[in-house]
Amino acid sequence: MSYLRWLGVFAVLAALPFFLGNYHNDVYRKLLLWITLALGYNFLFGICGQVAFSHFAFYGIGAYSVVIFLFQLHLPLPLAVLLGIVVCVVLALAVAIPSTRLEGFYLALVTLALAQLFIVVLNEGGAVTGGTGGITNYRLPEVLGQRIAGPWYTVVIVGLLLASFAVLWRLDRSWFGRACRAVRDNPEAAAAMGVDVARTKVIVFTLTSALAGVAGMVYAFVDNTVNPPIFGLDNAFLILFMVIVGGAGRHAGAVVGAILLYLLPFWLSPLVGHHHSLVFGVLVVVAILLQPKGLIGIYDGFRRRFA
Amino acid sequence: MTDSGDALLEVRRLTKRFGGLTAVAGLDFDLYKGEILGLIGPNGAGKSTTFNVIAGAYGTNEGEIRFAGESILGLAPHEIARRGIMRTFQHNRPFGGMPVLDNVMVGAHARFSKNLLQIVLGGGLVEERQQRRRAAELIEFVGLSGLRDAEVGTLSFGQGRLLEIARALAGEPRLILFDEPAAGLAPAELERLAEIIRGIAARGIAVLLIEHDMRFLLPLAHRVVVLNFGARIAEGTPQQVRSHRAVMDAYLGDAAAL
Repeated sequence: MSYLRWLGVFAVLAALPFFLGNYHNDVYRKLLLWITLALGYNFLFGICGQVAFSHFAFYGIGAYSVVIFLFQLHLPLPLAVLLGIVVCVVLALAVAIPSTRLEGFYLALVTLALAQLFIVVLNEGGAVTGGTGGITNYRLPEVLGQRIAGPWYTVVIVGLLLASFAVLWRLDRSWFGRACRAVRDNPEAAAAMGVDVARTKVIVFTLTSALAGVAGMVYAFVDNTVNPPIFGLDNAFLILFMVIVGGAGRHAGAVVGAILLYLLPFWLSPLVGHHHSLVFGVLVVVAILLQPKGLIGIYDGFRRRFA
Repeated sequence: MTDSGDALLEVRRLTKRFGGLTAVAGLDFDLYKGEILGLIGPNGAGKSTTFNVIAGAYGTNEGEIRFAGESILGLAPHEIARRGIMRTFQHNRPFGGMPVLDNVMVGAHARFSKNLLQIVLGGGLVEERQQRRRAAELIEFVGLSGLRDAEVGTLSFGQGRLLEIARALAGEPRLILFDEPAAGLAPAELERLAEIIRGIAARGIAVLLIEHDMRFLLPLAHRVVVLNFGARIAEGTPQQVRSHRAVMDAYLGDAAAL
């Protein structure tokens, strides 16, 4: 995409919150964050073929880290953000290096354990994490003497989304993206082509985990509260569902999947109450059985037929 | 074919054991730039094992393999590829989620110089374009021109084999290892394949072929090494090997195969 197009997309997405009320602004912000998460997870799962359940946990780790560094340790914002990224990177490496050297589903198992452990640590963290109640009543520190709030904070989230997308887009359209797909499609052949399979997996896992962490840092100032239930394991599966339903391996698929599955409960809840996860489950099964390429695959099919 | 000068690949006393079984026992051979060397022998002679040890798929620590003067024994497959040894697979192993052109470009993986940070900041576009052009040339070289943007799932088995070759060439190899390239191909495809392999050797690339199909290999190879029970029992031109006593015995009087 040309710079002009990026700029145009940014302008439209960033202008929107100024026309929305408080409620819809909140919905819009969370939608943008879900799209950011789904795009990152799509790179890990859809493009590189790595099944991990820690993506949402890293979102939480980023959120908690920045809040703890800012308000428990009273560090300045840039340092808190930087240290938050360091925490995500170190944790991601600690998980990825041993598990990618093993074959099969070890990454899935280890990341599942990490996601569970994260919730335990949050609940048992005492004064540091605020225990079950989490940490509340904080505000985003002033940046260069300015208090960023309201629709302007939504603009920050738009920036986060587009920056994450730009990074993933550039990487995908390079030797690195092809190496990731090669690792997904046939690791043995990838190695014979000179691709360091273990290293590629570690880099992708660490990079996408750090991106999730940064998104979490931004999220921390959306609700101005972080607590354990927000980062529960059900959300790890929701990201996976978004990518599968939308179309794994395609950026557009991740975007469509995130929009659909985030907004669906708003329409479904009046009809089926809290049973919308059941509807999701059915949707995923249907997608895997009938349309493994997801919604974006259906769109591709139509385009091929009528173009 | 060059018989003089330093060998590109030197295999010395190469030995590979699987538990109590010795698949390769003290094997020696050399391979020169631009040469087509056939590695033949009856089933279980150790051809595939030798191939896999050179490609790095099997490790061993007995013996020596030197490539361009450097020891490559014990290196991982991706490190061997980076040094300029590319391979094809007997059972085609394409990257199913990518079109033909991208498959070939994966072969050029080690030839890209821009790092991830440079790419994120917008670099690498020139290099990307150059490799795209090279990949298109290689697709043309193996005769898949019209299929550049095709999904690999739509290729025939023979076309898949040609894709394997284009992909290996994209790595700018100095040595290509062919694992039974003739297996599963129709006679017309075999002719085309032999022509391509001769073209590769003519570019100065060394070729090591493992092959069962003697009618394909013997007219093609410059030199043949015959294995039996993991050891070399004969070496020479296809003509010399054909009439070699030990070779005939190894094939149990199946002289028709030669």
